[in-house]
Amino acid sequence: MNFYECVNVYPEGSSSASRMALTARNLGYKGIIICNCDPSRIFMLPAAESVTGIEITVGAEVVASNVRALKSRIGVLRTRYPFLVVRGVTDETVHIASEDPNLDLLVYPCEVRRPLSIATAKAAKLNQVSIGFDLSPLIHLRGNSRARWLAAISRNLQLVRKFELSPIITAGAKTHLDLRSPRDLAALAEVAGFGPEEAEEALSRLGMLLAQNSKHWVGPGVELL
Amino acid sequence: MRSRFPVLRSRRRYMAFELETEGPGGPIQPKDLMGEIASSQFSLFGDEGASRNRIKLIAFNGRYGLIRFSHVLIPQTRATLAAVHSIRGIRVAIHSKGISGTIKSATEKYLPRLSKLSAESDGRRIELKDVSGCIIRTQGVKVDLCPDDRDKSVGSDTRYLGLTSFDLSGGHEDADGTADGL
Repeated sequence: MNFYECVNVYPEGSSSASRMALTARNLGYKGIIICNCDPSRIFMLPAAESVTGIEITVGAEVVASNVRALKSRIGVLRTRYPFLVVRGVTDETVHIASEDPNLDLLVYPCEVRRPLSIATAKAAKLNQVSIGFDLSPLIHLRGNSRARWLAAISRNLQLVRKFELSPIITAGAKTHLDLRSPRDLAALAEVAGFGPEEAEEALSRLGMLLAQNSKHWVGPGVELL
Repeated sequence: MRSRFPVLRSRRRYMAFELETEGPGGPIQPKDLMGEIASSQFSLFGDEGASRNRIKLIAFNGRYGLIRFSHVLIPQTRATLAAVHSIRGIRVAIHSKGISGTIKSATEKYLPRLSKLSAESDGRRIELKDVSGCIIRTQGVKVDLCPDDRDKSVGSDTRYLGLTSFDLSGGHEDADGTADGL
């Protein structure tokens, strides 16, 4: 299977792109997608291409001060980068991101008080926006806070299954020590409530999205060969 | 009590793993590692879950190790190891290498014989446009750097920056990670 992983590299993480690529290659990934908020400031990106045996794709995490700016920024960045991510930090961000077909991935925060809403799920289904689940709290949290996170993710998963959304699993790596191998990530996902086949599908979906975005679409469902 | 019939004994599997640590930090002791694995298992699966999967550390040399666990609980064991993120305040990551039915085959298949266990610490300074600091550890092409500006690693829960010699040599094609870059 072709597994990819979304990562943040230096200066937004604490590992360089080449160190991330080296670790990801050793763990069995086919490629990494660098999703920094400012992709133009990635430290030593050409050095990462020295690491053979792994594909490095530069995507972008879209951040903006307000909702209108977010929408226009998604439109601008779509033409430049093959992969766009938004972190749903506020309800407005989630609302705008789920309704924008230009977006690839909406990383939804799993909080008990802010579950995935039916409106968001319907909009994400209609606009083919994948819902991302960041599993780093499962690794970094312990005790009560992790129990609450697990409760929230299982509730969100129910909605994902009901509306047949496209979930994606990521480790949310900001350093090479945050990376986990695809099998380990699938095992963690099973603890979080995914089924074994769901977890594998969610892991391989990033590669499928990248392959689709690399084609030249002239309209919905029409590809320029 | 030891069963009289081998066929009645619970089946076991052996998992080889690699422990990646941050910075110099000294070698991680097997006792500390096993304590953290047990803590992770109790935290994830509780007492009842831990009772069904008695994880035992068979061998550990500071970097590579071997654990024994129940043959029906492979994903749970993987999750237990993957959920370990620090040992005695040192950031670590445990990567499972492979699973086998006997110690011999797990060792032969997944554990390298000639692994370089000792990392070098030379304390040399690096001055680049975007980053400056002292080299804490080099291990092959991997370089851990202690940045002058400690805010550089804020938010990722690490003390050092993870770089490679490719970064330090400017990404030239002749960067082979041995000497030129450093």
